[in-house]
Amino acid sequence: MRLARGIPWIVDFVRRMLPPDVSVLPAALVGAVRTVEIALLGTAVAAALALPLGFVSARNVAPAPLFLPARAVLNLFRSIDTLVYALIFVAAVGLGPFPGVLAVVAYTTTSLAKLYSEAIEGIEPGPVDAITATGATRLQVLRYGVLPQVLLLFLSYVLYRLETNIRAATVLGFVGAGGIGFYLQTYLRMIDYPAASTALLVMIAMVMVVDAVSSVLRARLV
Amino acid sequence: MIEVGGLRVVFPPAVVAVDGVDLVVRPGEFVVVLGRSGSGKTTFLRALNRLVEPTAGTVRVAGRAVTGAPAGELRAARRQIGMIFQQFNLVRRARVLDNVLAGRLGYVPALPSLLGRFPAADRALARECLDRVGLGHLAERRADTLSGGEQQRVAIARALAQAPAVVLADEPTASLDPALTTEIMGILESINARGLTLVVSQHQLETARAYASRIVGFRCGRVVFDGPPAALTPAVAEALFGDAR
Repeated sequence: MRLARGIPWIVDFVRRMLPPDVSVLPAALVGAVRTVEIALLGTAVAAALALPLGFVSARNVAPAPLFLPARAVLNLFRSIDTLVYALIFVAAVGLGPFPGVLAVVAYTTTSLAKLYSEAIEGIEPGPVDAITATGATRLQVLRYGVLPQVLLLFLSYVLYRLETNIRAATVLGFVGAGGIGFYLQTYLRMIDYPAASTALLVMIAMVMVVDAVSSVLRARLV
Repeated sequence: MIEVGGLRVVFPPAVVAVDGVDLVVRPGEFVVVLGRSGSGKTTFLRALNRLVEPTAGTVRVAGRAVTGAPAGELRAARRQIGMIFQQFNLVRRARVLDNVLAGRLGYVPALPSLLGRFPAADRALARECLDRVGLGHLAERRADTLSGGEQQRVAIARALAQAPAVVLADEPTASLDPALTTEIMGILESINARGLTLVVSQHQLETARAYASRIVGFRCGRVVFDGPPAALTPAVAEALFGDAR
């Protein structure tokens, strides 16, 4: 009922957003590029940081005294969402894209580490036995017995996280962590709905482009 | 070449896979470990290079202690023990040549090897080993594009690349058809003819008889026969494979 009564309001709202204000397009595009940069940089740093964590928290390659605490710590930090990290980092280091990148790194590192470790736990044990039997060191076994089995899977996880991080990074702007979200929120607060609709359209286009590129890349990987 | 004393392997909680085995393998022998599946052959072979940790007993291979050896010495012992597996155990997504090069990991400098760099001499040796199993022309192919018989030949090349004193082969033909069994056993025979000591597990009596210089019969984790193929009478075969316990 409440929804039904709200419909005229929504119609009115959409009508006031049209037509989009094209004059703010350059600013919105700058914001979009910033958002993509936050997501790209954050995901890349996290992809690297998650590597050792993924191996350390995999039951079949890490000794129990290592992987049990590692897994517990990862689960603890993974329960915190990117947005919450952004609030904390904005409070800690101030407004701008930097806390945005930190927030993406913090969440993505733990979530990728979890995905990595599950991929590692799913490998065939045979090649690991074979490499171990050659007299290889523990690191050589990881490099030649484990990594080749999981590398493509890791890359596809990273691309998938990039797609979700683009969307997460748009919201980061709302709490002052830079990017297109910051513009959208500002226009909404200034009750400049035509400008807000431009920002929204740019956001949609940005997400679609990144999703398309990423899914093409992922399809090639696996 | 291989000296095994009082070897026992017990899996938790109380499954006795190998139950007090004493065995001395002399240089150049072609030993076939014969027994039904579940008789402890695979566990015995895997205990010889400590892929499975023995519960008790001693193993020495080519003058080096395997049991009781700390990590560094264990690796030095392992690199002179080539191993071939029933399921080939190649890294499927890696190139054939890279799979053979992995046999050199125990010898090459550790840090460059982690970056994928191998000395030229080791690369040359890997190619030579691949040629010895007749697969030099497939060096650049991905391992999982090869047939089962070809994959097992690559696995043999990987073991040879270790320049081993001994090669252990765990049911190397159990996943292959009869023609390929002949091919793979023939390659093993030619390796043995060049002086390499072999220990091969088999559950097929005929194959064991055809290639072994000595047969060691396993039943319930114990050695119940040890002698030349000619001494393996039907009565002994019955004791090895029969249903009576």
